[in-house]
Amino acid sequence: MTLPHREADVTLPKPARKDPHVDLEKLDAAADLMAINMGPQHPSTHGVMRIKLWLDGEMIVKAVPYCGYLHRGVEKLCERLTVVQLTPIVDKHDYVSPMTNEQALNIAFERMLGLEVPRRARYMRTIIAEIQRIASHLLWLGTFTLDIGGTIGGGASLMMYTFREREAILDVFEMLTGARFHYNTHTVGGQRHDVPVGWPAAVKKMIDAVDAHMPEYEQQCYGNDVLVLRTKGVGVIDRELALELGLSGPNLRASGVDLDLRRDEPFSAYDEIKVNVAVATDGDVYARFDVRMREMHESIRIVRELIDSIPEGPICSQKPVKVPFAVKLPAGRQFYTAIETPRGELGTYVIGGGAEKGAAPYRLKFRPPSLHAMSALPYALVGHTVPDVVAILGSLDPILGEVDR
Amino acid sequence: MAVDESERNFEHPLYHYWENMPGGGIGMTSLDRLLMHSARHSLWFFPMATSCCAIEFMTAAASRVDMDQVGTIIRPTPRHCDVMVVAGTITVKMAPRVKKLWDQMPEPKWGIAMGSCAICGDFYRDIYSVVPGVDTIIPIDVYIPGCPPNADQVMVGLQRLQEKIAAQLAGKTIDKDPRPPNMIYPAIGTHGDARQTEATATGQLEASRNLGYGGQEHRVPVAPPKPPAGDAT
Repeated sequence: MTLPHREADVTLPKPARKDPHVDLEKLDAAADLMAINMGPQHPSTHGVMRIKLWLDGEMIVKAVPYCGYLHRGVEKLCERLTVVQLTPIVDKHDYVSPMTNEQALNIAFERMLGLEVPRRARYMRTIIAEIQRIASHLLWLGTFTLDIGGTIGGGASLMMYTFREREAILDVFEMLTGARFHYNTHTVGGQRHDVPVGWPAAVKKMIDAVDAHMPEYEQQCYGNDVLVLRTKGVGVIDRELALELGLSGPNLRASGVDLDLRRDEPFSAYDEIKVNVAVATDGDVYARFDVRMREMHESIRIVRELIDSIPEGPICSQKPVKVPFAVKLPAGRQFYTAIETPRGELGTYVIGGGAEKGAAPYRLKFRPPSLHAMSALPYALVGHTVPDVVAILGSLDPILGEVDR
Repeated sequence: MAVDESERNFEHPLYHYWENMPGGGIGMTSLDRLLMHSARHSLWFFPMATSCCAIEFMTAAASRVDMDQVGTIIRPTPRHCDVMVVAGTITVKMAPRVKKLWDQMPEPKWGIAMGSCAICGDFYRDIYSVVPGVDTIIPIDVYIPGCPPNADQVMVGLQRLQEKIAAQLAGKTIDKDPRPPNMIYPAIGTHGDARQTEATATGQLEASRNLGYGGQEHRVPVAPPKPPAGDAT
């Protein structure tokens, strides 16, 4: 907008950020930009996705992410299955942290039906969710440093260390549920598997091992000039943009927004404990990296605080389910609720009264945090070079099973 | 199962050069044994990693179950690799890319289907966008069942592949592994919406046929649409 009478001396305020949705014909009038595709089979994309990049030399002038390579029609599938059958389905969404997916789904059903969850089950859920957060962040740390290749001794060395701890965590889960990966341990009204004998001791031993190795990771990452130089000031997402795009979790907290549903809208047993939320203000790759590293320390502290004080009592407020039609949702009622997963706010929107005489939801919609993290890519990538793409993508930590569903 | 085996060529191009030389037959046999022996103990893996099984495949390559101890190495480009590991659900959108990457791999090459999604589609098999089994697109030598299979089971599958290569080295005829018996689904859409079944079957069948192979043995064949009544020609 220009003012006609003062056209010469008015300097309009600079736009706060570059619009990534520029018209390519205007941008590439001379047709000298090079367009390349990253993906769908690219080792650094953490799944199957494609980013189309328009390059001027090595600088990115426009980037468009494409998803849908893992679209499995899960929301359609959920309309056919009953409430009881849905828990193993949502395991496969965010396959790096299946426990929190189950938790989100079952909390949604419980809040919709007004069911009470026993205190023992709530403590177990909280402990499981925090251990799962550590496992998820460990896998993120391994693959992130593998991508940017900045750790001491080459890229893959830190991944080997983090997988060592992750295996210890999976052993603990296997002891509890009998499964290594897709657990199916949450159910409507509580838990399916009670704490086995010796489990708290095994958890404490595992947590001690992870805590003992954390300084090792920090020394390899914070003390490494290559990693710091490649991440500081790269891929900046400012506070307003992060709020506008609906980022959540560590990505949002790295942009200076102090929001964590564990503290602000407590679920399970988070209302009985204090959660210290890690916040950074820079909004760059380094800040997101820093927030996740600090979150791991906080999770270790929470698990240590809760593991000795698991109360006695029942683990489920409902009778054990023998038929898949045991739980029915009221017809026509809508409900939305969200919990904090390792990637951010995972929302579940349910409309009751579907197939199987109301035992299946009429509609089940998920609000995955990874999808919103991916929508920040066109803003964050512009102005950087091709090697920075993997650093920025790795720092946003999207899981494509959750994006495409 | 569904793929024509005669299209596969295990012979190295160097063989034909040797064959025409005097006394080349003896050398060729030795070279054959040498090449297969080397391939057996240095399999390079190309991870066609799409979803959950990819994490477990990474675990197999990581510190506890060290896949490198039997000479394997994971390379992210198809042109270096001997074995394609399909780990995860293959969708209709991804299927042409899988076929293209398989074609880019040099002979001899082997395929491993890891996890029930890659083997038969598992509970996504009657979804409109999922290919019910990757063996409808590329030939598969070894099936590793599980959801997802443990990292140890990946090692077992790797052993099975090495056994097959050893049998090939000994001059035996190699039959293709069958699908695991509980993963041959007679029909798709058995627990789905009956109205969608036919459309889904047609769509998935066309998607796999258009890639050059036709895999229809494990599902109900769909009758071709009837021509309109008035169309006599």
